[in-house]
Amino acid sequence: MAEAGPAHPATPVTAGQLIQLVEHGLQLVGTGDREDLRKRLNLTLGRLRDPSIRVIVVGEFKQGKSKLINALVGAPACPVDDDVATSVPTVVRYGDPASAAILVPTSDADSGDEAAVDRQPIPVADLPAYVSEQGNPGNSKKLVAAEVFLPRRILAGGLIVIDSPGVGGLGSAHTLATLTALPTADAMLLVSDASQEYTEPELRFLRQAMRITPNVVGVLTKTDLYPDWRRVEEMDRSHLGNVAPGIPLFPVSSDLRLEAARLQDSELNEESGFPALIAHLRSGIVEGAQRLHGRSVSQDLLAVTENLRLSLQSELEALENPGGTPQMISELEAARAEADDLRKRSARWQVTLSDGISDLIADMEYDLRNRLRHIQREAEAAIDQEDPGPAWPDFSKWLEVSTAAAISETFVLTSERAQWLAGQVADHFAEDENPLPVMQVSHSADVLDPVDAMPGMDAGHVNPVQKVLIGMRGSYGGVLMFGLLTGIFGMALINPLSLGAGLLLGRKAYREDKEARLKRRQGEAKALVRRQLDDVTFQVGKQLKDRLRLVQRSIRDHFTEIADEHHRSLADSVSAAQKAANTYALEKDARIRDIKAELKKVDALHRAAQAVAAEVSGAGTMMPAGGPR
Amino acid sequence: MTGSTVAGAAALVQEALETYGDDPATVAALQGIARRLAEPLRVAIAGMVKAGKSTLLNAILGEEIAPTDTGECTRIITWYRHGHTPRITLHPTGGEPRALPLKRVDGRLVFVLGDVDAADVDRLEVEWPSPALRNMTLIDTPGIASLSREVSARSTAFLAPADTESEADAIIYLMRHMHAADVRFLESFRDTEAGRSGTVNAIAVLSRADEVGGGRIDSLLSAGEIADRYRRDHNLRKLALGVVPVAGLLAQSARTLRQQEFAAFQLLAGLDRGDREKALLSADRFLRSTIPEGLTAEARASLLARFGLFGIRLAVVLVSNGFNEPTPLAHELARRSGLHPLLDLLGRQFQARAEALKARTALVAVESLLRTSPRPGTGHLAAALERLQANAHEFRELRLLAVLRTTGVPLSPELAAEAEGLIGGRGAAPHVRLGLDADTAPSDMADEARRYLLRWRAVAENPLTDGPALDACRVVVRSCEGLLAESFARQRQPA
Repeated sequence: MAEAGPAHPATPVTAGQLIQLVEHGLQLVGTGDREDLRKRLNLTLGRLRDPSIRVIVVGEFKQGKSKLINALVGAPACPVDDDVATSVPTVVRYGDPASAAILVPTSDADSGDEAAVDRQPIPVADLPAYVSEQGNPGNSKKLVAAEVFLPRRILAGGLIVIDSPGVGGLGSAHTLATLTALPTADAMLLVSDASQEYTEPELRFLRQAMRITPNVVGVLTKTDLYPDWRRVEEMDRSHLGNVAPGIPLFPVSSDLRLEAARLQDSELNEESGFPALIAHLRSGIVEGAQRLHGRSVSQDLLAVTENLRLSLQSELEALENPGGTPQMISELEAARAEADDLRKRSARWQVTLSDGISDLIADMEYDLRNRLRHIQREAEAAIDQEDPGPAWPDFSKWLEVSTAAAISETFVLTSERAQWLAGQVADHFAEDENPLPVMQVSHSADVLDPVDAMPGMDAGHVNPVQKVLIGMRGSYGGVLMFGLLTGIFGMALINPLSLGAGLLLGRKAYREDKEARLKRRQGEAKALVRRQLDDVTFQVGKQLKDRLRLVQRSIRDHFTEIADEHHRSLADSVSAAQKAANTYALEKDARIRDIKAELKKVDALHRAAQAVAAEVSGAGTMMPAGGPR
Repeated sequence: MTGSTVAGAAALVQEALETYGDDPATVAALQGIARRLAEPLRVAIAGMVKAGKSTLLNAILGEEIAPTDTGECTRIITWYRHGHTPRITLHPTGGEPRALPLKRVDGRLVFVLGDVDAADVDRLEVEWPSPALRNMTLIDTPGIASLSREVSARSTAFLAPADTESEADAIIYLMRHMHAADVRFLESFRDTEAGRSGTVNAIAVLSRADEVGGGRIDSLLSAGEIADRYRRDHNLRKLALGVVPVAGLLAQSARTLRQQEFAAFQLLAGLDRGDREKALLSADRFLRSTIPEGLTAEARASLLARFGLFGIRLAVVLVSNGFNEPTPLAHELARRSGLHPLLDLLGRQFQARAEALKARTALVAVESLLRTSPRPGTGHLAAALERLQANAHEFRELRLLAVLRTTGVPLSPELAAEAEGLIGGRGAAPHVRLGLDADTAPSDMADEARRYLLRWRAVAENPLTDGPALDACRVVVRSCEGLLAESFARQRQPA
């Protein structure tokens, strides 16, 4: 993912400036022996260098999703056809020169391994053969996704646009795939054309999707074709208002925009409605995501500077005020013991987390089983009613659709609960966590700002939930992102795959033995259904469980790291203070000078980070959960 | 043959009336069935919201009477029957029907419900002196997948009730693309009768065909290809007898092209090509455009509303290609809209076998009556019913057609396709079944029919032909015999 290109966002704090700050921080840390802090900053730097802001484009099929993306980036990135629809998700991102690749799951049979995906470069011109229904009907090539890299300015800020196969009514496998992809997206563009107001399936999908990612933008396409689009827009706005307040809606015409690009006609471009949409993408989504980036970077820097300052300042205090050293050391020791407790398995947040995840897994399994059991009952009742032979293809289709709908429900429920749990854990961590002891610095107050509770832990700028999300997304993101994606799309593939086998089996049984007694056929059909649902329960249960374990690991690692850093800083401070007490007077002055100089640097960085934090938090408080990784 | 089937069904209903004479509810239901047998075929127009149902209804009628709108419009099931004088009757869910004032705005009807809530209206009945309604009652239904669930539910309950026969004999199903909801609905419509007399009696229409390619001039070609694909689609094939693309708006307006509209097209065609294309780039541009000067803003808006961007583009191209009289232009627009193939399909599939479809609906009703409220002394009814169902060759044809289109028969694909034609899968008229032109001489038809008959007899006698295929062969042979007999009958008639 490193080839995502340079970042040139037009935000107040540019990514370049942030990178400078972090590099500065790395220099400061680099001289000490704090490997943990260095690692943290390196991660931050990696995230900054590859800012992925994922926008997923969803909607019913033939609403103009692919064309919207093409008009957005001004290049034929996604194949467009009057009839044939997109069958594979297409990821459009920055890259120079233009190129394309397909992501294929590696052949080893165990789909449980999420990283098992192969990237094969393909010629850009061949893309339609891979991503459209014509070249790849129903994704029979079993691709995970396709990637298109384009040297376009709009993508340079790290914007990634994902074209999804159309959602054909709730309950289809495509819907499930789209829903499961949503947690990794920063925002969702809901596309619907201007021929009519939202239909019931569209709004039903929206409601479900809103539970996963609240960051939704409505797009009304094909305004060139429908004279009455303004009325449709008005009606859609009121429908959106009924779902949730504040969902923006942008009427656009992809054809006009493409025509404008061909004719270099800026008036036409204005008319296409795209400038407003792009402005919103920039200010609302990219900037929002960058704000969150900025926030997480500033939090990282603040935490690092606080940690650095703690030991420096303890030493300074001990040097300058030897009389108070024993008391200070005992305070520091106490704080260290508390920080140590926080790292233990018995800490309240740890208990909340592990209990919560166990409960969640149990509930999820129960929910899934319960839903599938209902389907099984219904299926058995239907089989009992008539000969399953002739209706078998219809029947298995029904089974597939209702299974997919059930899994969607369980998935939405699980992801909602997981978010709630993360918040809960963050709350407990924040409550139990003791702020670093306040240092009494007798006469360097003019140099140093008073140190209060570590802002990294402070709920003032970022609430605990957001903090976890920032952290989680950080550890989720980057390397894991594609692994996660394969898992996601792999999951959606389960049903059709295993159902296909079941169907074949079923056909065979019924064709061979026309004269077999009805009872036997019904028995066989029921056994097939049962086995199929068992398979689904097993596979989907495992996938969801894996996801929850991933969530658990991320949350645990995030907080453990904070507690570790904290502990380490306190331990360092204690030893620094003890060392200071044994320092000779001659060396003392030199050491004090050194420390003061060092502190000055740390402090400058701290103030810079604070400025960034103040700016991003002042600039808006959007994206409670749909933020960047 | 057909006459006797309907007569038999009518006689059966009369008999049932006598048997159940003491049960007022049943009597009312049976009387309804008897009336229905005497009425024209009922064809419902159904589809998702905004599929263009009312527009297509207007196009079929050749008159703009059904109200249409950008928002969801039809919320009440509306029947359009033939009548000598226009009249609107409101049937509330409870209470007496009452007449509504006949109000029209721009030709379109406005239903003045007064203080009656739409939810309390069972249906509206419009009687209209339209020739198209003489042998077909059209039923306009609210869209399925509507945002107001009750409205959708009403349509579904009306067309595909869970426990009784459907109010409609056949259905024209409109869809813009094949959506899961479309397939689901067609399945449930078929399922209402599937268990009983299983047939396929729906025609699918790819509506708003002009919008397929974003209103490009070749949109209808694309739409034709899509319809082709749908026709072969496994899911749809067993649910619908055919798929035709129709540009409903264009069809509706072409049939009512006005002189000043033609003049407007001529004006537009007179423009420089580049200017014209620019002006027709988007609906907004066309409304705003200052060229040609002769067109007022209202005229532009009305053109757009009636023809759509695609219709205007197409009409202008046609005018500049030499259609410089209103009537030929109107004909050409109507032809391009795809309305004729639809009307043709309606005639072949529905009207030609209207009697059989109606009789079948009646028999299904009697059958369900016997099943739900059995009583002593109905044995002879059941026997008569079974006799009718077993003997009427039309029903066997319909059933075989359903089988051919759903599970299939163990015949080679060519034979299966031929069988489908012969039993009337492409239309009930003899020449259509034989795959000949309408003006073929009766003697040639007889020869062709004899050829098919011999071939199918041979297939039936082949020892390798097994159970289900043999049944199919017998039906086809019987159809061939019927065709032969009919050709002879015609030959004997003086020309």
